[in-house]
Amino acid sequence: MPLMRRLLLMLMGLLLAGSIGWSSVHRPEQVTILMPAPFVDATADQVKRFNAENNGRIALNVIRGPRDTESISDLAISSLLLGTPPFDALLVDVTWLPKYVAADWLQPLDPWFDSDDIESLVAGAQLGNSVDGALYRWPFGADVGLLYWRKDLMPEPPQTAEELIQIAQNLRAEGRVKEGFVWQGRQYEGLSCNFVEFLSAFGGTWLDPETGQPTFDSEAARLTAHWMQQLITQGTSPLAVSNYSEPETLQAFKSGDAALMRNWPYAWAELQSESSAVKGRVGVSTMVAQPGASPAATLGSWGFSLLRGSPHQQATAEAIRALTSPDAQRDRFLRQGYTPTHAALFHDPELLEASPVLPQLEEALSIAEPRPITPLYAQMSDLLQRQLSGLLTEKRDPDQAMDQLQGATLTLLRSAGGVS
Amino acid sequence: MNGLLALPALLLMALVFGWPMLRYSWLSMHASSVLTGLEPVSNQGANWIRLLEDARFWQDAVQTLRFAALSVGLEIVLALAMALLLDQRWRGRGVVRALSLLPWALPTTMMALGWRWIFNTPYGPLEQMAQSAGLSPLNLLSNPDWTWLATVMADVWKTTPFITLLLLAGLQTIPDDLYSAFRLEGGKTRQALTAITLPLLTPYILIGILFRTAQAAGVFDLIQVLTGGGPAGSTESIAQYAYLNAMRFLDFGYSATVMLAGFVLLSLVIFTAAVLLQISGLLRPLKS
Amino acid sequence: MNRSRPLWIALLLIWSLLPMLWQLITSLTSSDALVNADIPFQQRWTLAHYRELLSGDPPFWRYLFNSSLVGGLSTLLTLLLAVPAAYGIARMAPASRRTIRTVVGAAALFPYVLLFLALLELAREFQMGNNLLAIALPYAGLALPLALLLLISAFEGLPNELDDAARLEGLGVVDRLRWVLMPLIAPATASTGILVFLFAWNEYPIALTWLSRDDLLTLPVAMARIAGSSIYAVPYGAYAAATVLGSLPLLVLVLLCQRQIVAGLTNGAVKG
Repeated sequence: MPLMRRLLLMLMGLLLAGSIGWSSVHRPEQVTILMPAPFVDATADQVKRFNAENNGRIALNVIRGPRDTESISDLAISSLLLGTPPFDALLVDVTWLPKYVAADWLQPLDPWFDSDDIESLVAGAQLGNSVDGALYRWPFGADVGLLYWRKDLMPEPPQTAEELIQIAQNLRAEGRVKEGFVWQGRQYEGLSCNFVEFLSAFGGTWLDPETGQPTFDSEAARLTAHWMQQLITQGTSPLAVSNYSEPETLQAFKSGDAALMRNWPYAWAELQSESSAVKGRVGVSTMVAQPGASPAATLGSWGFSLLRGSPHQQATAEAIRALTSPDAQRDRFLRQGYTPTHAALFHDPELLEASPVLPQLEEALSIAEPRPITPLYAQMSDLLQRQLSGLLTEKRDPDQAMDQLQGATLTLLRSAGGVS
Repeated sequence: MNGLLALPALLLMALVFGWPMLRYSWLSMHASSVLTGLEPVSNQGANWIRLLEDARFWQDAVQTLRFAALSVGLEIVLALAMALLLDQRWRGRGVVRALSLLPWALPTTMMALGWRWIFNTPYGPLEQMAQSAGLSPLNLLSNPDWTWLATVMADVWKTTPFITLLLLAGLQTIPDDLYSAFRLEGGKTRQALTAITLPLLTPYILIGILFRTAQAAGVFDLIQVLTGGGPAGSTESIAQYAYLNAMRFLDFGYSATVMLAGFVLLSLVIFTAAVLLQISGLLRPLKS
Repeated sequence: MNRSRPLWIALLLIWSLLPMLWQLITSLTSSDALVNADIPFQQRWTLAHYRELLSGDPPFWRYLFNSSLVGGLSTLLTLLLAVPAAYGIARMAPASRRTIRTVVGAAALFPYVLLFLALLELAREFQMGNNLLAIALPYAGLALPLALLLLISAFEGLPNELDDAARLEGLGVVDRLRWVLMPLIAPATASTGILVFLFAWNEYPIALTWLSRDDLLTLPVAMARIAGSSIYAVPYGAYAAATVLGSLPLLVLVLLCQRQIVAGLTNGAVKG
């Protein structure tokens, strides 16, 4: 009897060990990604497909974050500061990346995305993903600022700053359009995006690429500030522009009241909808630039970043790859209008048919300009927005404003421990 | 022995109230941001230079002070009315008093959401009423000039019951004979308010003002959820700016500076108010 | 004044209760009806918002539980510290008593939101974040001033002879407190306890920075989070349902204990 009992016990033990081992092998690896609410809906199908394809091996779960851009970051940071993030990856806006990297919260993606992968991306999408040579973010979409122009009012879009003013003023004088050029002049992040493009038109950059110091005391910055103020004082742009964000700008252009508009790619679909007064009469180009200066399109985009403490790095990388695959990109472009990141897709017949401005988008992406890549970007942008808003609404002296801005930015750098 | 009994409590209080102030004083003299890995590195007072030139801080300071001033002012007036009503004896007073206490008992963030809906354009009840009255949209939460008034209203609603109770306590210390004597001497009931009630109630009113001003200066929960500091930063408070600097900008050194500065400003305001009250003689009843 | 009193009472009630009643109505109104005033009366009502809330992840009752846990612990800890302390302070010489009272009074005035950064640093340093037990510590610290003020007055109101008599009978401090003095100040203790509980339940900035895990959030933080998380601009039906559910425990508490609350607040104010 003892032998039988012993054998039975051994059998039970083996079965137990086996089942534990079995379940640990067969329990799917949980991957959790935090995304803003709109993107959760946009990727729902792709998530389902991924889980089906990896059934039992990887279970991808998406956390629906707040709708508001900054709130997503606040949510992530509150977890990261306490040291216990409940997710493996999150969608990161291009301007936060330096901050997250500097805080040492992100894991480089180089082991999973090599240079071939990077080469397959369209030019603009390759920017804003690396800090100090390491890849920290894999792009989800590719957004750049565009200049929309009315094909029925002008033969060609303006190429220089003077041309823009001239064309707009002429059209207004002739009474063919109510407003000339509409753009985002409200005191918010959009204003900084517009500024980057205008500054590039005059040959300037926000931070000196070599020293990393602000350059608001440069000739380019002064010219830009003067030009922006003139747009309003000379009537090229309505005073209301100083309170416009994207929706208001789009509304003005869509109703046929404006000849030129600066906005993001999403506006195109709106302008071709039935309710648009300018359907079929809109062209897309890049922002103007002075002779000798190159035009720029501000880069705005979301991308996936992997968190350093994640215990499921391989699986998460796979999930990221799946969510940003060419098929997923195609899907999202055709259904929700999200700009693709794969270079090949820009020559895809199906996509070209759906959106004839894809070539212009690609061109704009090739001159994409990221906003300053610094962990202090948010504070810098805040300082810029305030000064510019004062320029536009209270008619402050542009030279003074730029000097003040220079001083304030330097003080910021000094107080936060940056070199000065 | 008595000291020993009190020690744990006093130690915890010292830790929770005293340590932060010391820490902020030290931290504000250092750069402690994401650039320094959140490790403090001395920056020779650069934070304070930055604060003095920081338009956003001063704007927030003004906004916080005006919020506190209007809020506390309205609350005192409203609470006085409510206290006078509840001081009289009538049936069901206890129930009404309990019900009027409810706004104060609910978490601020919770009712802030409620207010967001009430003020909502275009679907909230206020907007609907304005519409049917033929007025143009009120846009109560998206007007940089007037939205702060909406925050004041929500704050007054929530905190008035507290002051009401305070004033009630004060009213109940006024002996009835004073009123009878006053009336015997030919005084009208309405005059009793200014002749007897208000002077004797002054200490309580002052305590109420003091307490509420300090609380209102630190307004955070309400603004965070009701407006998020907007529109265009017109409702942002000092506490919020400090919070943003720490939790969004990851600049602990500057956040500490903002909070310390806020504390200093608050102390200045209270000190000035105390001095003014002293001079104007309003503190006299306290002495008698 | 007497004739118009009912009017004033009505106004007072409307002012105090209307916003909450509006939340109740909103919580029962269907999402469509919220944005469309033309939907007829009979078709406007639904329990969908409540269902959504209770079947959410984590379910809404979890936040109520977290808040109750934290509230209860904080109250316990505060009373544990405050009662002996108040006893000791009440028996001190008048001069030191006054000093301590002033300091404690000043602390009671302090806008505690300004303390969040240093407390956050402590949470990071000592791994106290995302821990419902640990958060009771700062809460107790923040509630102590009020608790001390109330309890010191309560102890001062007791005649010394009682304590002396008990001491002569050989009872130690703990026993004296437990069997003789605490029963006598029970009303004050109750008031203090309820006020501390209310404070802990409603506290926001510390909870916001110390708690980040979804399933550990206290009610105020959870409500603020619910506020931002929808893709649409008008999930107000869900908010309203959350407000109603979240308020219920407090409403019950306040209505049942309003006497203690009132007594506590007025005493604290008068003596403090």
